[in-house]
Amino acid sequence: MAEEKKRKKKRIPADLSLQQTITIKMALMSFAMFGVFALLLLRTWSIMRDNGEQYKKQVLSQQEYDSVIIPYQRGAITDRNGTLLAYSERVYNLILDCYLMTHDNNNGRSMEPTLAALSSCFGLNVSELRIYISDNPDTRYHILKKNVSYDEMEAYKAYIENFNATVTEENKEREDKLAKANEKAIWFEDQYRRTYPGGSLACDVIGFTTADGIGQYGLEEYYDDVLRGRNGREYGYLLAENALERTVVPAENGDTVVTTIDSYMQSVCEQRILEYNQKHANEYRMGEMGSDDTGVIIMDIHNGEILAMASYPYYDPNKPFDLSMYDEEFINRLVEAQGSEEAASQSLWSNFCISQSYEPGSVCKTFTVAAALDSGTLHDGDSFDCKGYLTFGEGDDTTMIRCHQRFGDGQITVKEAVEKSCNVALMLIGQRLGKERFLRYQKNFNFGLRTNVDLAGEMRTASLVFNERTMGITELMTSTFGQGFNVTMIQAISAYCSLVNGGYYYQPHVVKQIKEESGAVVENVEPVLLRQVVSESVSDLMIDYCIGVVDEGTGVRARPAGYRIGGKTGTAERSGQGKLDYTVSFMGFAPAYDPQIAIYVVIDRPNAASQENGTRYACLLCRDILTDILPYMHIFMTEPLSDAERKELEERGLKDTLSQNSASGNEAERDEQMTEVDTEEEQEELHVLIDSSTGYAIDPVNGEYLDPKTGVPINGDSGIFQDAEGKPIEIEVLTDPGDESDDPRE
Amino acid sequence: MPLVVVILGLMILGLLMIYSTSSYNAADGDQTGYLRKQLLAEALGSIGVFMILLFPYEALKKLGRRPWRYGLLVAGAASILLLLTPLAHSAKGATRWVQIGGLNLQPAEIVKLCLILYLAGYISENPEDINDLKGYMKPFGVTMGAAGLIYVVSSNLSSAIIIAGIGVLMLFVASKKWVWQAITFPGIIVLASAVVLNIVRTADDVSKLNYRFKRILVWQDPGAYLLDNGYQTLQALYAIGSGGLTGKGIGKSVQKLGTIPEVHNDMIYSVVCEELGLVGAAVIIILFGILIFRCLMIGLSSKDSFGMLICVGVMVHIAIQVSLNILVVTNTIPNTGVSLPFISYGGSSVLFLLAEMGLVLKVAGENAS
Repeated sequence: MAEEKKRKKKRIPADLSLQQTITIKMALMSFAMFGVFALLLLRTWSIMRDNGEQYKKQVLSQQEYDSVIIPYQRGAITDRNGTLLAYSERVYNLILDCYLMTHDNNNGRSMEPTLAALSSCFGLNVSELRIYISDNPDTRYHILKKNVSYDEMEAYKAYIENFNATVTEENKEREDKLAKANEKAIWFEDQYRRTYPGGSLACDVIGFTTADGIGQYGLEEYYDDVLRGRNGREYGYLLAENALERTVVPAENGDTVVTTIDSYMQSVCEQRILEYNQKHANEYRMGEMGSDDTGVIIMDIHNGEILAMASYPYYDPNKPFDLSMYDEEFINRLVEAQGSEEAASQSLWSNFCISQSYEPGSVCKTFTVAAALDSGTLHDGDSFDCKGYLTFGEGDDTTMIRCHQRFGDGQITVKEAVEKSCNVALMLIGQRLGKERFLRYQKNFNFGLRTNVDLAGEMRTASLVFNERTMGITELMTSTFGQGFNVTMIQAISAYCSLVNGGYYYQPHVVKQIKEESGAVVENVEPVLLRQVVSESVSDLMIDYCIGVVDEGTGVRARPAGYRIGGKTGTAERSGQGKLDYTVSFMGFAPAYDPQIAIYVVIDRPNAASQENGTRYACLLCRDILTDILPYMHIFMTEPLSDAERKELEERGLKDTLSQNSASGNEAERDEQMTEVDTEEEQEELHVLIDSSTGYAIDPVNGEYLDPKTGVPINGDSGIFQDAEGKPIEIEVLTDPGDESDDPRE
Repeated sequence: MPLVVVILGLMILGLLMIYSTSSYNAADGDQTGYLRKQLLAEALGSIGVFMILLFPYEALKKLGRRPWRYGLLVAGAASILLLLTPLAHSAKGATRWVQIGGLNLQPAEIVKLCLILYLAGYISENPEDINDLKGYMKPFGVTMGAAGLIYVVSSNLSSAIIIAGIGVLMLFVASKKWVWQAITFPGIIVLASAVVLNIVRTADDVSKLNYRFKRILVWQDPGAYLLDNGYQTLQALYAIGSGGLTGKGIGKSVQKLGTIPEVHNDMIYSVVCEELGLVGAAVIIILFGILIFRCLMIGLSSKDSFGMLICVGVMVHIAIQVSLNILVVTNTIPNTGVSLPFISYGGSSVLFLLAEMGLVLKVAGENAS
């Protein structure tokens, strides 16, 4: 039996027996597994059932409902050609999340290496950070550093990544000792930083912005509401069915302001002003620059657009409190005068051209003469006798005012009175004009009123001019030559523009256009014509007189090489000062026979040994500026150059456009007008009649109308205007004589 | 074929969840980065499956016999020892990968595959040996050696537990003396747990404890140990709890948005629950159930014990890993890093899982022929 059993056992192969065992146990085990799986599902379900509501709330409570502000981008400021003068650049705020720093250590992230990284990348003090974190362990938002640039941010991120990579290698053994930096507790928030790419370029016009993005001074303040956008917001809220909804309201960026400023002209003005002030530093008064203040305004006389407005001293709107561009002596004096370094900086922010008044001096003679001519109390050609002084009044009130020419200018005409800047003649004119008319014209010229130029900080001068009650005979007399009352530069040049443009007073403005971020135009600023101040014929006379001043009068030094301009010098005593100080100025226009721009140079307290030197400096500064600007404006030279002038132009890298002018012939219409001062022969050769009813030129050969710009017949077939030899010629279009009342030669 | 459908279903679900969980946290803005990597690994794995299917079954069997079987041992051991060479690659604070030609392989996965083949070969060659203690100790020793080596070299306790579990359960299934095993092993586990718990509870200074012991404390009260692993555990529980019956809808998880660390990895089940609710969890568990069932059916209809044992090994591997993962995520046992097969992100894991599936499919093919 036993053997049989044994045999029976042996008959069953070992593998088969194994298979039987496996079959039973495998089946049993898989049932056990199903059981375990069922338990897993049960466990999951029980969590949902027992803690579902609590956990749902917990999850919602962990969400961030607090809104995040999406900052707007402040609008840019550009010059008339689109060059950026100010824009807002994207930067980052470095944010510390203390809660994550202390709580998010589950993946082996540690605080210390994070702090080390902050210290090495941003120069933050580790112990201060540690104290802050231990004092505020639950703070989720703390700004560690503002204005972090993109590069700095990337450098930090790269540092953390490299650091974490090396750490893992070194600490293979134990997870809990890993000292990885905590990358989640430090993050970067978008922010914008106002940047002025030109540095101090047009600083007085532009102004600057505070760290909070509030515009200060100049355009930044005046157009603050235009430049400013609206912050966007990202926020979360709970819906009824316990769901979190996050909504993003995008930021509205500010509009771009296009100014009338021309960067090139602006930089020329600033450059020349700076050169003047450096060159004449310590000339008369030791330890002082070339002047207390120097201001230059260039305006388009036909529409009141300000092309350049510069003054000295200046500042850098990127760093408004920075005085490092000045030498120590200058800073010391300024700090002493202003009381503190902060006040010293602040004193530089105001725009001399609009915020400071002064007695204008002789430049105002043009206004007095224009008023007298316009009112009919004075006629071109009237003459006056200057004995060197004038006495007026009776008895004790008798006053004597001297002419600057001690021994008198003798018998002089009105024109000569302006050219020589004769005080006596002007006082006599003032007597003819009388107080009431004088004040009326002064008001018409906008003296005493703000020009309402679109810049913040324009000074009120209402109390600084005379009125019916305050003006006596002496006041009237001094006022005729610009002493006794105060003006601002912007007032004077705006009024002067009206003198040389036919009598039209335009409100000065700095902004041409307001555009959306996308480039769509929001507003075009049209020139505002306020009133006609003097008649066109008076304007013509004034142009003539002013040209005389530069041709043969006090302003000869203001003439740039190759050009003919008009203008008026001014030297005013600064009242209320113990010692004799002067404000010297030159106010002019260019070019002579087709005025386009007006320029006004004011040097307050020039550092000059004598009054004459001071006046000369103002003229020279004007000449310096115009020498660069007129060729830039494509205004061709009209005057022959002396050898010295030619050499000077070569040194400056400027071309002699006089010779170029006769060679180049017909260019743009504007240039054409300039080249009208051509030789008689040329004019005859190219003389073309203009049809008075249509305004088109008439072809002398076949009588067809020609396009005035191209010379192409309007309805003819030939296409090109040909001369006798069949060679195409360019024509010079001459307008009907008599229509051009602007032309002073007529 | 049902097995292939189940595997594909799990993989598709996995890819969906990986995309859902990883796209938000993707560091470099590459939202599909993890998805594409996983897809690549699955494509490679599928090629592996086809290669296994082309491999003759007899040759596979030969691999389990001497002397080739020792080759498997050497291969497994060598792959672990690669972790000590410069090929080793560290991530997330542990050295568990070797980098070969741009591929990150986890030796633990190789060891699991080798062990299944080795034990299937050993047991089918020596069916009687394991019925006495002396014969049993040899394959048991190999199993424990592999588990020990993994633990010592890569300090990866969870992989060691899985390897030990696969070995012990395969031996258990094959052994006729099953009563003492059924009692002894659970007994040892319970005893060891009691000892560890006692050590932890009576510890004077909690901060000096080994982090493994700390995890036990975390398990008991995750809210009190947020600085250790409690935060992850607690957030995963919040995610599961907030899911409800049908979940918040795919892609609508809130907890995945940076709140749960490593959410596309070991903790992916919590987001499955949050987005797809109990229904989604049930679908996944039932799919795993079908997977186990198919392995069982293929194993039972296998013509030889080698094929059966392979099915047992694969089945056990998947069952252990699924159970451990879900037990961890639901905080039923202390935290240890186990991934959810086919669902969690992990290239080498899915690659070798597919290889194991290939073995099972090979056995199935052999049954049919």
